[in-house]
Parts: sequence; C-alpha cells; structure tokens
Amino acid sequence: MVRAVLKGLLAHKLRLFLTAMAVVLGVSFVAGTFVLTDTINKTFDTLFDEISAGTDVTVRAASGFGQGASTETARDTVPASLLEVVRRVPGVAAADGSVGGYAQFVDEAGKAVTTTGAPTLGFNWTQPGLSPLTLRSGREPQRAGEVVVDAVTAKAHKFAVGDKVKVLFRGPTEEFTVVGITGFGEADNLAGATLAIFDVNTAQRVFAKVGRFDSIDAKATEGISALALRDRVAGVVPAGVEVVTSQQVADEGADSVQQALGFFSTALLVFAGISLFVGGFIILNTFSILVAQRTRELALLRALGASRRQVLWSVVGEAFIVGLFASLVGLGLGILVALGLKALLAAFGIDLPASGLVIQPRTIIASLVVGVGVTVLSSISPARRASKIPPMAALRGGGVEQGGSLRRRSIAGAVVTALGGAALLRGLFGGGISLVGLGAALVFVGVALLSPLAAVPMARVIGAPFPRIAGMSGKLGRQNAMRNPRRTAATAAALTVGLGLVACVSVLAASIKSSAADVVDKYLAADFIISTSNFMPNISTDLAPRLARQPELAAVSALQTGEWRAQGATRGLFAGDPATLGQVLKLDVTAGDAGGLARGEVLVGEEELNDKKLAVGGTLAMTFARTGTKDLRIAGTFAENQLLGDYLVSTATFDANFTDRLDFAVLAKSRAGVSPADARTAVERVTADFPNVELRDQAEFKQQQEDQVNQILGLISALLALSIIIALFGIVNTLALSILERTRELGLLRAVGMSRRQVRSMIRGESVIIAVLGAILGLAVGVLFGYAIVGALDDEGIGKVVIPGGQLIAYVVLAGVAGVIAAVFPARRAARLDVLAAISHE
Amino acid sequence: MSNGTPAARGTNLVKVYGEGDAAVRALDGISVEFAAGQFSAIMGPSGSGKSTLMHCMAGLDTITSGQVYVGDVELSTLNDKELTRLRRDRIGFIFQAYNLVPTLTAAENITLPMDIAGREPDKAWVDRLIDTVGLRPRLSHRPSELSGGQQQRVAAARALASRPGIVFADEPTGNLDSRASAEVLGFLRTSVREFDQTVVMVTHDPSAASYAERVVFLADGRIVDEMTEPTAEKVLDRMKGLGD
Repeated sequence: MVRAVLKGLLAHKLRLFLTAMAVVLGVSFVAGTFVLTDTINKTFDTLFDEISAGTDVTVRAASGFGQGASTETARDTVPASLLEVVRRVPGVAAADGSVGGYAQFVDEAGKAVTTTGAPTLGFNWTQPGLSPLTLRSGREPQRAGEVVVDAVTAKAHKFAVGDKVKVLFRGPTEEFTVVGITGFGEADNLAGATLAIFDVNTAQRVFAKVGRFDSIDAKATEGISALALRDRVAGVVPAGVEVVTSQQVADEGADSVQQALGFFSTALLVFAGISLFVGGFIILNTFSILVAQRTRELALLRALGASRRQVLWSVVGEAFIVGLFASLVGLGLGILVALGLKALLAAFGIDLPASGLVIQPRTIIASLVVGVGVTVLSSISPARRASKIPPMAALRGGGVEQGGSLRRRSIAGAVVTALGGAALLRGLFGGGISLVGLGAALVFVGVALLSPLAAVPMARVIGAPFPRIAGMSGKLGRQNAMRNPRRTAATAAALTVGLGLVACVSVLAASIKSSAADVVDKYLAADFIISTSNFMPNISTDLAPRLARQPELAAVSALQTGEWRAQGATRGLFAGDPATLGQVLKLDVTAGDAGGLARGEVLVGEEELNDKKLAVGGTLAMTFARTGTKDLRIAGTFAENQLLGDYLVSTATFDANFTDRLDFAVLAKSRAGVSPADARTAVERVTADFPNVELRDQAEFKQQQEDQVNQILGLISALLALSIIIALFGIVNTLALSILERTRELGLLRAVGMSRRQVRSMIRGESVIIAVLGAILGLAVGVLFGYAIVGALDDEGIGKVVIPGGQLIAYVVLAGVAGVIAAVFPARRAARLDVLAAISHE
Repeated sequence: MSNGTPAARGTNLVKVYGEGDAAVRALDGISVEFAAGQFSAIMGPSGSGKSTLMHCMAGLDTITSGQVYVGDVELSTLNDKELTRLRRDRIGFIFQAYNLVPTLTAAENITLPMDIAGREPDKAWVDRLIDTVGLRPRLSHRPSELSGGQQQRVAAARALASRPGIVFADEPTGNLDSRASAEVLGFLRTSVREFDQTVVMVTHDPSAASYAERVVFLADGRIVDEMTEPTAEKVLDRMKGLGD
C-alpha cells in the first residue's frame, strides 16, 4: 500500500508541486517569523549581556512599580555621593556612576540624525572595564564641550575627531567637539541606537541631573561573587535605593524586549495562520478532486481486496507525505522569508537589528507539526469519502462527479456561520481577541460550506457578459464554472478568506480615517501641531516656552504622556499647561473645576469615571515608577476627547512624578488677526532651532493621520498578500485538475473546430469567474466584519462605518486580473492537448 | 461541390508510427477517393489502419508522406490554425463515444461548430435536420438526460449542421444496440440520399457497412478490395476472407 501511495505521488509531480505550494508558503511564513524573532531576541540577549559584562552589581532607585519593573520605566535618580559609599564597601574593586538621557545629533545639513525605531541616547563615559564602550580612535571625553560618537553614526554622517557637532537635548541645543569614536563591545553601535558620550559633569548638566546618577555599577574583587557583593552593598545604601546583580538588569532588559517582540511575533504568526488556513482549503479541495478522479482506481483496489481502512490510509498517507515534503521545503524557504519580512518591516519604517540567523529546534518542530498537521487534517474528509467508494464503482467506470444534495452541507454551513458570527461578536464586545479569531475562522468555514448554493447563480451573473465578449468559449467557460458548484465554491473560498480580511481592514481603515478627520475638527483648537516624525516624546522642553514668547501666538501648550499603575494595571495619562490647554484643545469640563489641575489634581474622562466608579472630589491612588503611590484629588470630569485619553494632569504634576520630561507634542494657537502665514513664520522661527520636530497645521495633521492609517493598511495588505497568492495557486490547481478530467471534452471541442485561442479564452473565463466569485463573497464577509469591528470600537471614537466603495470595486477587478494570471498555465496546457490523443483519452 | 471533384482524396498515403525496428507502417501507400454525395464505409480488421486513414483524411493526424486533399485543399500546407478552421467549417465529425459537450443542451451541441465560428446557423437547414433525426422534443435536454442512441443522433445532426463538404464517422454505432444503430445509420443514409451530403464511415460491423453505397476494405495498411452496393452478407463474406 505504501508503495502504491509513493508511486501515485511520483506519477504526478506537478500535482504534488501545486498542492504542496499551499503548505510551503504557509509553513515558510511560520518558520520565517520564528527565525526572525529568535534572531532579534538573540541579538538583544547578547547586547544586554554585553552591557553588563564588566560589572557585577547595580545600585539604583527602587521603582514604584515594584521589583522586576522593566528597565525602560523611568526610575528616580540616586545622589552622586552614594558612589563614594559604594566604593568603600569591602570587595568592591571598582565602581562608577552613569547618567544618561535623550541626546540627538544634528548633521551637517542641519537635520536631526534619526534612527528607524532605536533610541537616540546620551550618557557619561565611565571607568574603563565597567562599560562595554571601546574607543576606536581619539580619546575619551574629559571636559565640557567634548563628545564621543558611536562608529556607525560617525561613519554615516562623516563625523571625525576634531569636528564640531550640534546635539539636541531636553534643554537647549549645544555644540560639542568630537574627541573620539567608540564601538560598543565588538559592534559599531548599540543595536541601531545613536550614542553621544560626555564626561560625567557635562552629562549630569545636559540631562538635568546635576549631583545625581541614574545608577551606580560596581565590580567585585577576585573571589567575591556578585550575590555576596550585592548583599554587602545593600547594607550601606539608604532606603528607596535597591541593589541588584547586573545579570538581573541584563535579564530585565532582555525580558522587556522579548515581551515587545512577543506581540510582534504573535501578529506575524496570525498572518502565517491565515495563510495556512487558506492552504487547508486548497488541500481539501485538491484531495477531493483527486479522490473523485480516482474513483475507479480506488474501487479497483477495493475489488482486489483492500479494506476501507487501507483506502482511507492511502489517501491520508499521501497527504502526510505531501505535508512533510512541503513543510521541509517551507522550512528552508522560511529563512528567506525571515530576510524578506525584515526588509518588509524596514520598508514600513520598523528597522530591526539582526546578526546571524537563529534556527531553534522549536522552529523546526513547529513548522513540521503545523505543515503536516494542516495537510493531514484537510485530507481526512476526502479520505473518508474515498473509503466509502464501493468496489462495484470499478466496473461502472466514470462516476466522476459526485453530486448529492447540498442540503445537509448547507444546514451545517448555516449553523457554523451562525456560531462563528456569535463568537466573533462576543469576542469583539469584551470576549477577547482569540474568540474573534475563532469566530472569523468559523464564519469563513461556514461561508465555504454555504457557498456552493450561491456558486451557480453568482457564476451565472458574473459570467453573464462572457458569451457576448468571447462568444462560444465565453459561454463554455461560464458553464464550466457552474458545472460543479462544490468545486468552484471550494476553490473560490480560499480567495474569500484573503479578500475578506483585506476588505475588513479596508473598511476599518476608511472608517478610522474619516473619524480621525472628525477628531481633529471636534477636539483640536490649535492651529499648529508640533511633533517629532513618529510622535516619540523627544521634544525639548525649551521649545514650548520660546514659542509662547512669540507675539503672533495667543496660546501654547506642551503635552506629555506617561504611564502609571493602579491595582496592578498600567494606564496612561496626559499632561499639559492648565493655563493654556483649554485654548489649544476643546476641553469640555462636564463636572467639577479644571482649575484643580493647577493645584496638582487630576481630571478624569467622564466615561472612565463612571466605569471605574470614581467620584469628583474623591481621591485617586496613582502609582508612579519614580515616586511611588500618590493620592490625587479628582478635580472634575471632561467629555470624551480622543486627543487626551482618560486622565489629565498638569505639567507640574507630571514633572513631580516622572523623570526626564520631554514633550511629545506642542500645540499652538495664533492670535486673532494674525494671518496664517505670519503665524507660521513665527512658529518656524523657533522650530528652526529644533531640527527633530515637524510642524503641521490642521490640514497637514489630518493628512498625516491619514497617511499613518494608509501605511498600516499597506503593511497588513502586504502580509495578507501571501494568503491571496496561495489562493491563486489553488485556482491554478483546480483548473489543472479539471482540465485533466475534461481531456476528452477538450479534444472534442478542438476536433469540431475550436481554436487554441478559444480554448485558452474558455479556461480564462472559468478562472475569472471563480476568482471574482471568491472576491465578491470575501468582500461581503469582510464588509460585515468591518461593521462588527467598527461597532465594537465605538468607544474608541470610530463612530461611523465608511465603505470604501471604489477600493472594493478595485479589489474585484484585481481579483479578475489575478484570475486571468492564474489561468495562464492551465490554459496553455489545455490548448496544447494533442487532439487525437485527447479524443481517445480514457 | 460538383460531382466531378471528390469530397476528399489521398494519394500514396504512408503513416509510420515509431522509429527503427519498432516502426509500424499503419498506412502503407494508400490512394483513395471519396466522391461527393456518396456514403462510403471503410472496413477492415483491428489494426488494419482504417481509423488512422480516417484521422489522416480528416486532418486530426498527420501523414508521414503522401497528400491529402479535402475538397481542393491540400492538408500538409496548413498550419494548426488553418487546420482547425478547416475542421470547423468543412468537416463534420461523429465519434464512437463522448461526442457531446456535457454542459450544453442538445440544441446547443448541434450548432456548436457554428457557435465556435461565431456564425449564424442556417436555421431552416438545422430545423430540417432536427426533424429528420427526430430530436425536436429533446432539444433542451443535456447529454446526461439522453439515451446513447439519442446522443449519437445529436452528434450526427451536429456533424451535418454546418453543411460540411464531408462527414467522417468513426465507429458511430460502436456503443449502440441494433435499434439505435439503425436509427443513426438510417439518418446518415437519408442525409446522403436526400440532402446530398457526403459521409465516410469507419466501422467493423458488416450490417452498418451495408447502409453505405461503397465499401473500401483495408488490411495491413493497404486497400485490398472495394465493393459497391454492399449487403451485410456480402460484406461479412469478404471480411471473413480478411481474417477478422
């Protein structure tokens, strides 16, 4: 039996290839995701280990968020005097303090040196041996006005020892002389970040931490363990300061990166899952066709004494081998995919560092299990059908197309669709994202089960113009698409999934765009919005005060954001200048008194107040990383404002509880009677000194919001493209198999005078109908999904559903074009059939 | 087409399959003419080359050497496109089985060659064929709803619908019982006698051959005999001599 399976497979290499393609692409996506994220993880692990390589113990302020808070949360500083205390602890071989913060170079052209995601860091030069910095040329910074630059930045922007270079800080911009170029361990920089290194006094001054350190690192003398040293140092530090091993600091850093990557890898795996889901449809369909075509062969096996079980296993066995083969190929391709994904993300502005590719055993196992699993599972239903073929079928011959009533199938389809819809809605309205995914998958399965009902009438309508365009071949193409509704529907279903999701995302994007424009009109009063290009909180605190002094401007307010915790949950807050905030934002205070902001109180969004059962005049316990838990009085409530979130405090309150304030946006309103052009000139006078910021008026701001949504839409569509490509392979496969089945019919048509061109046009017609059918069903499902999601996002301010009609029509047209492309190979094959051989084909 | 020029003719037809030692001469220097307005039968035992002859005469297969004319067109001068057009416009086909496109109705199958060509069928002529063949009540049925005999009659009507210069029938009654065979053959004979059509039929059934006006006997790729005014008995006797 095994030999029969193997021979059968090898006899149809092309079929094997086409079927396997569906799995190969999905598996390579899975493997690629794992390889990419493992590689990035490894990069960061190495990096954090390297950072802490020279030290054993780290002394730092305790975080209000408790032990194990990530290194990224802003802690308080420790007094610089603590360094001497630490140095005197027996067993400390060396210790030094470090202090750092935001520092961004300005290049020769006056533009801020940007990274694609990595931070722009500045810190002090510490004792050799305690830091991984390795001078490549020049010397270390020794006094004010000196800076050392990382090798990557120096090379990219041609900074050489002796050059003057400007650096942006949270305070005023300053000019330095480059005195050295440094590497970071073996690497030229720190995972894409730019580095500006100063002497300790300069660092303390520019980061506004005079007399303070962020942390103190100590190295143990020979024979003393890091743990022992930790305990010794812990004995001498004051309350509010913690001592941890440097290994722990490295692990915390690696963990926080891993967490961020975890989300990213899950997102990619979702797309891989979608591809495999689509692949499953194709495998199911292919095996169904194969079983139908091999009815006689399988019946002959039965007649010769094979048991039902053996027939069943022969089909499943074939699927297993196809799955294994495809998974192995997919695994290999996954490495290419990892590189491709990285390039794709880079194209969308997310640049990730990566060294040698990391291929873990988990990657190999997961790829094989998923690939083989999907293939075998998809083959079970056709295999069961095969096992039910009676031996007599061998004698009857033919019997290719199993008709049968669609009723049971349709009832099952309706039930599955309803279940899926219910799960989807439940998931969207509070049930969680995995329920949404399950619901969506069920809806697609249900629609696939139901679609044979719709296939014939829809194919008739879609193909209606074909006879007029292509005459008899158009008509025959249409008839062929209608002759086996199950097959047509199953083939189209693969495309339905991909296009359904694309349509859903398009509806969502259109709705968000329209709402975003509304948000600007509804909530923004400022004429100008100043931000960094990606809304990083990197705006100097100098900018807003200077802007406020411009006579052309009536009101200026900087905005800050930060995180705080309550009952273990992390929440966000916004902060602004209470004196001017109301002039640049449409802040609608619905209860209480906004004046409380200036007194260190908090304003809470109206809905949030009700949700969390808070009361105006009551207190809110807010835990900050730097200062611990503070009770803030609730001054009042404000009506929903999409630009502000749920909690609002004053900038002064922010400064009191967060370190290193940088503004993430500055809003400005021009004085009445000042022309927009004059006001803009005034703003630009100031922003010219801050090359990292961008200035937008309301219209430009709207456009930027729209661009961002478009970019995300583009990224998602690109990731979904794979599932659409797989679906097209499915069409190719079905057509190729159908042609094989209709060899004699094709021979007849050619004999009675159909030209090759007409044969091709006939196949093309069928292909286009299948593709457009799948697309239309997908768009219908996708638009409904879009409605559901927008409904669920009502709270987030996406009020109304916008159906991007033109875009959806374009998708249908594109699907038609894709159908033409999918038909190229099968059509050529059909047209090349030898007429005489085809007629006498068994 | 006048009675002077034959509807189709072949001179010195040679068809070799395979190469070297394995080469088989399916046609070994055959010269034959099929007169317009005549019902001819090609007979011979299995492997005699009768089907190959028909396929070559009809432009479905190429000959190794010699010339085939359909009307006044020499087939070897035609490319695939021109051959296809020739088959479509000037030749009718009836195969042993699988003659009809399953997705089309009987009526649509009958006019298929004209529809492929994008030409309007001669409605009066098609109506006359349909009535003669007795299919009027079955026109809107699909092939799967027709009996084998009905299917072959549809095929016969299709072969004649475009008034081709010649109709080639390859064992048209091979899969039919005697009654259905008689209906199909009777129709072919009527089409020749009354409608002045030309039919060439390959068969190994002497009673089918007896419907023809002339029988050509083949054995081992050569023409070994000819008979006019055949009857089933005379054909059977002659066939016995060929050792079928």
